[in-house]
Amino acid sequence: MIDIEVLSKLFNNYYYFAAIILFIIGFHTMLTHANLIKKIIGMNIMETAAFLIFVSIGYIEGGRAPILDEGFDQIYMNPLPQALILTGIVVAVSVTAYALSLIIKLYQHYGTVDADEIARIRSYKP
Amino acid sequence: MNLNYEHLPVIIVALLLLAAFLEPIVYRHKKSWAAPLVIASMAFFALSSLYLMAAVNYHGPFNYYLGGWAPPFGIELEIDYLAVFLLLTFSVIGLIAIVYGLQDLKHGLKDEVLGWYFTLYLLLMASMAGISVTNDLFNMYVFVEISAISACAIISIKESRECIEASLKYLILSTLGSGCILLATAMLYMITGHLNIGYLNDVLPRVMSHYPNNILISLGFFVVGYGVKAALFPLHVWLPDAHTAAPSPSSAVLSGLVIKVYAAAFLKVFLKAYPREIFLEIPVMEIVLFLSVLAILYGSIVAMVQEDIKKMLAYSSIAQIGYVFLGFSLMGQRAVAGGLLHIFNHAMMKSMLFLAAGIIIYSTGIRRIRDMKGLGVKLPLTMGAFTIGALSMVGIPGTNGFISKWQLALGALDLGRPIIVVVILLSSLLNCLYYMPIVINAFFGVKGEPELEIGKVPGVMLYSILFLGFGIIFFGIYPAPLLAFLQKTVTAIL
Amino acid sequence: MEDLLVRIICRLVVPFVQLYGLYVITHGHLSPGGGFAGGAIVGASMILFALAFNLEAGSRKLSHDISLLMESGGAIGFILAGFVAMLLGQNFLTNKAAGFPLGVPGNLFSSGAIFFFSVAIGFKVGSTMCTLFYNLIEGSDRHRSSE
Repeated sequence: MIDIEVLSKLFNNYYYFAAIILFIIGFHTMLTHANLIKKIIGMNIMETAAFLIFVSIGYIEGGRAPILDEGFDQIYMNPLPQALILTGIVVAVSVTAYALSLIIKLYQHYGTVDADEIARIRSYKP
Repeated sequence: MNLNYEHLPVIIVALLLLAAFLEPIVYRHKKSWAAPLVIASMAFFALSSLYLMAAVNYHGPFNYYLGGWAPPFGIELEIDYLAVFLLLTFSVIGLIAIVYGLQDLKHGLKDEVLGWYFTLYLLLMASMAGISVTNDLFNMYVFVEISAISACAIISIKESRECIEASLKYLILSTLGSGCILLATAMLYMITGHLNIGYLNDVLPRVMSHYPNNILISLGFFVVGYGVKAALFPLHVWLPDAHTAAPSPSSAVLSGLVIKVYAAAFLKVFLKAYPREIFLEIPVMEIVLFLSVLAILYGSIVAMVQEDIKKMLAYSSIAQIGYVFLGFSLMGQRAVAGGLLHIFNHAMMKSMLFLAAGIIIYSTGIRRIRDMKGLGVKLPLTMGAFTIGALSMVGIPGTNGFISKWQLALGALDLGRPIIVVVILLSSLLNCLYYMPIVINAFFGVKGEPELEIGKVPGVMLYSILFLGFGIIFFGIYPAPLLAFLQKTVTAIL
Repeated sequence: MEDLLVRIICRLVVPFVQLYGLYVITHGHLSPGGGFAGGAIVGASMILFALAFNLEAGSRKLSHDISLLMESGGAIGFILAGFVAMLLGQNFLTNKAAGFPLGVPGNLFSSGAIFFFSVAIGFKVGSTMCTLFYNLIEGSDRHRSSE
C-alpha cells in the first residue's frame, strides 16, 4: 500500500529527491565509465547534487535576496548556504580545470582518453 | 597597534598564502629570491608554531573570531592543544622536507616549474595549518579542497606518465571524498543550522532523536570522505601509485603529513562535533576500528612483496595510518593520545625514510630493493638513518615508534581489548619482516656484480635526514614532555 | 576562424560585456553578483575575444606577464586588505569595527572593506579564467605542432 504521507513528503521536498538522483547519476558515471572526460562530467554532476542539497536548505518559497531595501517586511532566504556554495562552485571549477589539464597531458602521452585503453597500453609495455 | 599572540594563527595561514601567491612573481623576475622566500616563510611557520605552543601551554587555549564576528555567524578559529600540536608537527617536518627538497628538486624538476612547485608547497602548508586551527566545518571543507588540489599538483608537476596517471586517480577519488564531506556537512547544517563545531556539539544531542536519519547519513559520508582522503583501508587504492610516483620531498610530505591532516580532521569532526552518546547508538567507531585493524594487517602484508622501495614505504603508510585510526576509534584517553603521538612519530619516521630513499635514488638511481646489496658501505650515513627509521617502524625500544605503539597497546588494554595488542604485535613482526632484510642486505649483503656508481650527496640532504634521525632517537628516549602535553590535549577533547 | 560577422559583432560586444562585468564586481554588495560572478564575466569576455580572433591577438591584449601579475596581485590584495584591519587593532578581515567607513546604505561606497575584497577577487577570478583558457589551448597547440 502506498503511504500517502510519505509520497506527499517526497513531493514537497522534491529538490532533495532530485539531488539524491543527481548524486547517484554522477557517482555511477564517475565510477563505471572508462572515458576520462565522462568521469569528470560525472564528478561535476555529483558535486552539483551536493550543491543543490546545500542551497535548498536555505530556500524559502517566494523569498527574495536578503538585500537591505525599502520594505523590511519581506520574506528573505537564508543567504549563508548560497554564499557557501559559491565557494564550493569555485572549488569545483578549479578541480575540473585541473583534471582536464591532466587529461590533456595523458592524451599527449597515450593518444587516448579511455582508461581501459590506457591500462591496456601500459600492460603491453614489454 | 595591538599585535599580541592571538593573531598569530591567522597570520600564519595568511602569510603562507601571501608567500604562495608572491612566489610566481618572484620566480619570474628575481629567480634567486624564490628559494629563500620559501625557506623564510616555512621557518616563520615553524617558529611561530613553537611560540604558539608555548603560549597555549602557558595561558591555555583561546579562540579567534575572523572579522570580529562571534561564532554562530562568523568563522571561528579554535587554537587548542590539538591545533598547536598539529601546527608544530606540520611546520617542522614541512621545513625539513623543503630544505632537503631544494637540492633534490633542482635535480628532478624542470627549471620553469620550480617556482610553481614552491607555490603549491606553500598552499599545501597553508591549507594544512588552516585545517588544524579552524573550528568551522565549511571552512574545513574549503581547506581540505585546497590541500587536495595542491597535493595532487605536487605529484603531477613531474609530468611523467606515472605521475600524471597517479595524480588523476588521486584527484578523482579525492573529489569523491570532498563531495561526501560536503554532503555530510549539509546534513548537519540542515538539522542544526550551525557549522561551528562547538555549537554542533551543543545542539546535536537535542536534535538527534528527531532526525536519526540525517545523523546516520552524515556519519557515513564523513567516514567515507575522510577515509578516502586519509587512505583508510578499503579506500586506499590511490595511495601507492601517488606516493611512489611523486618526487621524493613530495612523497615525504604527502605520506608524512597530508594523510595525517585528514585523520586529524576526522578526529575533530567525530570527537569534537558529535556528542559521545551517538557512538553508543550507532557503532560507527567499531566499523572504523575494524577497518583500521584490516589496514594494519593488509598494508604490512602487501608491503612485503613490493620490489620498489618507495612503493614499499607507501604500503607501509597504509598500515601506519591504520594505527592512527585505531587510536582514534578506540576513544579512550590513552588510545587517542597514542593515535596523536603516532601522527607525530610517523610523520618523522616516514618522511625520513622517504627522504633517505630519495637520497639513494638521487645518488645511485636504484629503486629496486634487490639491488641495494652493499649500499651501507657506500652510503653509511644515509643507510644508518634508514636503519634508525626501520627500527622505529618495527618498534624497537629506544625509538619513538615504540612509544606510540606502547601507548596504543596500553590504551587498548585500558578498554579491555587485548586482541588489539595482538594485532599491534603481529604487525610489528610483519614490519620487521620487510624492513630488516633491506638493512641487513645493505650492510652485510654481498655486493652485486656491477660496481655501483655513487654520485655525491649534497650536505643539506644528509643533514636533514640525520636531524630527523636524531629526533626519532630523542623522542624515543625522552618522550615525557610530549606525553604530558598530549595528556592535556586528550583531556580537553574527550 | 576567419568570419567577418563574428569578428565585428565580437568587437562590438566585448566592451559592453567587460563593462557589465565591472558593474557586477563593484555592485556586489547592492545586487546579486560580486567578485566571483563579475570576474567570471570579465574573463569570459577575454575568452570570447580570443575565440573570435585568435590566440595571438588575445594574448596581445592581455600578456602572460600581466595576467600573472593580476592573478597573484588579486590574491595578495585580498590578504593585505585583511591585514589592514589587523594593523588597526582588530581581528583579521574586520570591516566596520576597524574603522572602514560604511557610508549611506544603497550607495556605491557603502560596504567599507568589502568593496576592496570584491575588486581583488574580481581581478583574481578574471585573470585566472583567461589564464586557464590560454594554458589549456596552448598546451594542446604545442602538442599538435610537435607531431
